[in-house]
Amino acid sequence: MEPNADSGLMRNTLILAKFELKKLLFNPRGLIALVAFSLVWLLLLLYPIRSASSFLLNPDFKQLIAGVFGEESISQLFQWQVAEMAILWISALYIFPLFSIFVSADQFASDRQRGTFRFLTLRTGRDSLFLGRYIGHMLIQTLLLLFTILATVLLAMSRDATLLLPALTSGVIVFINMIIILAPFTALMAILSLYANSARQATIYAILLWAVSAIVLAIINNYIPSIAGLLHWTLPGAQLSLMINTQGMGSFVYAPIPVIQTLVLLFLGRTYMKRSSL
Amino acid sequence: MSLIKCEMLTKSYGSKLALDGVSIELKSGSPIALVGPNGAGKTTLFSLLCGYLIPSCGSVTIMGEKPGSRKLLGKVASLPQDATLDPNLNLITQFTLFGTLQGLTAKQAKAESLRVLSLVDLAHVVEQKPQSLSHGMSKRASIAQALIGSPQLVLLDEPTAGLDPANAKVIRELVRALSSDITFVISSHNLDELEKLCDQVLYLDQGKLGQSVSIQENMTDEYLTVSMQECEDELFVSALESLTGINSVTKKQENEYLIHYSAEEIHDIEVQFFTLISKNGWKYRALLKGRTLEDKLFS
Repeated sequence: MEPNADSGLMRNTLILAKFELKKLLFNPRGLIALVAFSLVWLLLLLYPIRSASSFLLNPDFKQLIAGVFGEESISQLFQWQVAEMAILWISALYIFPLFSIFVSADQFASDRQRGTFRFLTLRTGRDSLFLGRYIGHMLIQTLLLLFTILATVLLAMSRDATLLLPALTSGVIVFINMIIILAPFTALMAILSLYANSARQATIYAILLWAVSAIVLAIINNYIPSIAGLLHWTLPGAQLSLMINTQGMGSFVYAPIPVIQTLVLLFLGRTYMKRSSL
Repeated sequence: MSLIKCEMLTKSYGSKLALDGVSIELKSGSPIALVGPNGAGKTTLFSLLCGYLIPSCGSVTIMGEKPGSRKLLGKVASLPQDATLDPNLNLITQFTLFGTLQGLTAKQAKAESLRVLSLVDLAHVVEQKPQSLSHGMSKRASIAQALIGSPQLVLLDEPTAGLDPANAKVIRELVRALSSDITFVISSHNLDELEKLCDQVLYLDQGKLGQSVSIQENMTDEYLTVSMQECEDELFVSALESLTGINSVTKKQENEYLIHYSAEEIHDIEVQFFTLISKNGWKYRALLKGRTLEDKLFS
């Protein structure tokens, strides 16, 4: 019955992370969100991804694209062994971070607003609470990503059963890459969610942050382009446009950017959590 | 070691000073009451003790540790004012999470949750979500969560506000029964209730700590408070004042009188009082040794 003092950090972080996942899976609201997500991806898989992959396999289409965008800009897109995975990659690069902003907007906001945190902070440290919720929301997104990739693998196999192995290999690379990409988005949402009074407000803050940053960067770019070029890398998602034209192991070239962003954002979030009133 | 120690504890919200240089040292033992008007800083003091807020100035320690420190996890529990449980999850799920965070296994945590919910007579609604509970039931659930595990200090911010008399009594009995193992600090506006439960009363007003009153002092206090059923006002006062050793008899409110006497001059005041009222055919409702808490604090 004695509470644990020092060994509790890791244990409680894991308990809280698992609890977040459980909240999604064993709660009608969470299940509705999950169904909505699956439906969106079902539509994407059935229409753009299935039909676009047939385009990608067409040499005339390749020539057309190369003519419009230039030979180099999207050359890697045609290197994918499984065309469906190529289209999934492009869609996921933009859609998943967007999902992330919505899915992880309520890491802390409503609990803090209604005082539920007050029941937790006397039982577990604020570090475990912050990290546990963050990991929990990463787990939720991992689950969603896993569903999507498996569905794509099945879609590719329905076209050609021999694609199983290449589809799985690409799937694993896309999976790891996407997790790395989503990490700083979720960390930024953790901070905004701590600051905001509701999930909706956190989402609005996120939109404002990206919009204002884009404007500020454009202004700085006008006067001191070298600094704007550097500052550009501080925002989550800065590398996304460059990642479209990568595939296979080559896509990991940009991984250090989101990893560093995540570490910095988690450190800032943890510090904010420690100092904030509940 | 003192249980709670505050030194010049100050908290301000912008320009508003909510708590102004409070210094107290409290030891573990009987329940301690915290009273004061609305906006006196009671909830702020509780929040500082729980580590929800960080002091603007001064220091506070609980069992020698700063509030919110890892060593205090599970040892300090509280019923925070205005905090509500997650409306989307049923009671048992949330309570089991609380228990596991305090170091219990999932199975132990569930058993412990059922135990504390039974203490407040909520065993039949453990599968329900907080939304479907009445205000009083939610309050009792919030009190129950403070009892999970083996806390040494439990801070209850207005535990019986909004409860019906029967349930308020259950909570009072619970506090009394557990106070041999747990030190309770209770804030309330119900002075009668505090009088029954607590030994020590702290009075907070406008962020400052006023007097600290001990209920135990009543035994040595040279006062008697009487509530009469029916008697003639002036006759009653003059008859009492004519007794040797009575310094004064003051009417406090309708049919309630405060008798100040000198213990050296009158040894059997109770006997003389009862003799007097039986001779005059008066009826009394209550006799209290000492003064009421209300009288001590506000006169």
